[in-house]
Amino acid sequence: MASLFKKRVFGREASLGVILIFSIGITGFINPRFVTGDGTRDLLSATAIVALLAIGMAPVMIMRHIDLSIASTVGFSAWLVADFCAKNPSFTWVQCFLIGGAVGIAVGVINGLLVAGLRLPSLVVTLGTLYIVRGGVYVVSNSVDYNAQEMPPSLLSLGQRTFAGLLPFPFLMVLILMVIVGWYMKYTKAGRDCYAIGSNPPAADLVGLKVFRRTFLAYIFCGFIAGISGVFYLMRFAQVDSTAFYGQELAVVAAAVIGGIGLLGGAGTAVGVVIGALLVQTIQGALAALGVDAFWKSAINGLLLIVAIYADRILARRTEKALLAQRIKERV
Amino acid sequence: MSEKNTFKVRKSWDTAILALLLAVWVLASFTTDNFLSSINVSQIFSNSSEIMIMGFAMVFLIITGEIDLSIASILALSSAMLGWSYAAGAPIWLSILIAMAVGTACGFVNGFLVTKLGLGSLAVTIGALALYRGIANGILGTETVNEFPEFWTTWGFDTIGTTFIPQTLPVIIIFGLFFGLLLHNTAFGRRTLAIGQSPEAARFAGINVTRHKIIVFTFTGFMSGVAGVIYTFRFSTAQADNGIGLELLVISACLLGGVSIFGGVGTMWGVVAGVLLASSVESWLTLQEINAQWRTIVTGILLLISVAAPVLVDKYKRARATAANKG
Repeated sequence: MASLFKKRVFGREASLGVILIFSIGITGFINPRFVTGDGTRDLLSATAIVALLAIGMAPVMIMRHIDLSIASTVGFSAWLVADFCAKNPSFTWVQCFLIGGAVGIAVGVINGLLVAGLRLPSLVVTLGTLYIVRGGVYVVSNSVDYNAQEMPPSLLSLGQRTFAGLLPFPFLMVLILMVIVGWYMKYTKAGRDCYAIGSNPPAADLVGLKVFRRTFLAYIFCGFIAGISGVFYLMRFAQVDSTAFYGQELAVVAAAVIGGIGLLGGAGTAVGVVIGALLVQTIQGALAALGVDAFWKSAINGLLLIVAIYADRILARRTEKALLAQRIKERV
Repeated sequence: MSEKNTFKVRKSWDTAILALLLAVWVLASFTTDNFLSSINVSQIFSNSSEIMIMGFAMVFLIITGEIDLSIASILALSSAMLGWSYAAGAPIWLSILIAMAVGTACGFVNGFLVTKLGLGSLAVTIGALALYRGIANGILGTETVNEFPEFWTTWGFDTIGTTFIPQTLPVIIIFGLFFGLLLHNTAFGRRTLAIGQSPEAARFAGINVTRHKIIVFTFTGFMSGVAGVIYTFRFSTAQADNGIGLELLVISACLLGGVSIFGGVGTMWGVVAGVLLASSVESWLTLQEINAQWRTIVTGILLLISVAAPVLVDKYKRARATAANKG
């Protein structure tokens, strides 16, 4: 059974990877610029924020919960960080990340207390905090916008930096986080607990797993990553207003689901999520290269998500059947 | 035991909301000059018309334990179809029919994906949300259509004669009566509640759960189409970002009105009270000249209260019961 589980998980990442390479190939064929250094850098920095958020959301979704408030948290953190920097010109990127992280953790604590503590449905709770946090941005910002001149130069130059000629700084962070989260979820007890909780929440309670602690910490982590992503938002766009990152939570959920995190929990990896985010961005690039009107972007995203959910469903059914067949064989 | 208790609390929740609604009205009429003025009351009703209309059908969906996040996108798509077909030269009655048919079809597609393909409604309708809004975007782009026959735009935003009753209100009341009777006085309504309580048991009792859910999804799509038509005429514009984010307001109004997100519990008048409460609080804030931006926060807080309050009340009651037992 263990080998079968491993095979399926590995199979998912491998097949996603193949699809990704295939779509990059096609896009490169239509638009050769896509596979040049410039094109790769564009792709990676455009994917970075969604990929970061999707990794942050992975533990939450693996535990069969969801966090819809992340996009609002990104907006809130981005605006507050810009505000602090505008008022304190001596700030560098260090303070930016500290403020952003703190804002995110605060939102994560609220979500965590309501979902893990009171055991309220996460969908409704985070829908509520989506409103409250976005409303918070509207109220504190009072329609004030910030541009590049108010931001610390050290932050903006950090965002411009690339490693090995290809790897923009934000995407390097994605890779580092991916490795840490991937390792943690796979090889530590806490990480394995998350999968167990997501596969069968009542059973996890009965066997005495620390459901409250795991869920609570997962929400704090998710909030923290969202807060940090707010700083990456500033790095990339160098301007912020009260509607920053509005409605992008669905793009993150889409990347996670396409990357193999089922909405029923208990499955998925950080590597898959990053490939999922890259795939979504690549397909957008391919459509742009094909000359499809940008207006259709959202429609194609939606269609992709539905197809991914359907594919996931078929895969899950197949695994179920295989497991059943194996069990019958073992009995005989 | 505990489940029964929560159930009871949820049942009395809609009464509590009605009381809260009256309290808001009394408070608001004391603290502001013209809260109960005819113009303002008319505004409260007409501002909530789309939410109310979509709420009527959404109640059924949430009671069966499903959800549809794509309703505001269906509204936008039907509004876009209305504008696009009218601008392309179709007679207005045909355009309205097209808009409603598109809404119905979208609802059916959602129902098909959820029941026949067995996909989770939350995930699928997030996809559908992007899909339908995207199609609306693709059809209209940045264009807006705002040349509609005067008869219809007047119907959209004017009141009956010199009274405060919006001309759309009779339509809303008819739909409300229809869906209210459907939920509380017919076998269809009983089946909806039964499915929400336990889909398994409902199936063994001979209810065709798949068909029932498809019908409920289709109703929701149809009502979102109707809401799209009313929205278009109320603002005399058809554009792709019509009604963006409205799905959350509809869901929060339903939950506020005592519909359980876990399914199986809900009343129509609770939802009506929930919608009116949200819209009255908003109007009150506006009259108090409180920054319009606070409304988003208030919506969020109301939503949190609506899920947290039954749980907290239940916990408190149980704690008291245990204390009484010990004493």
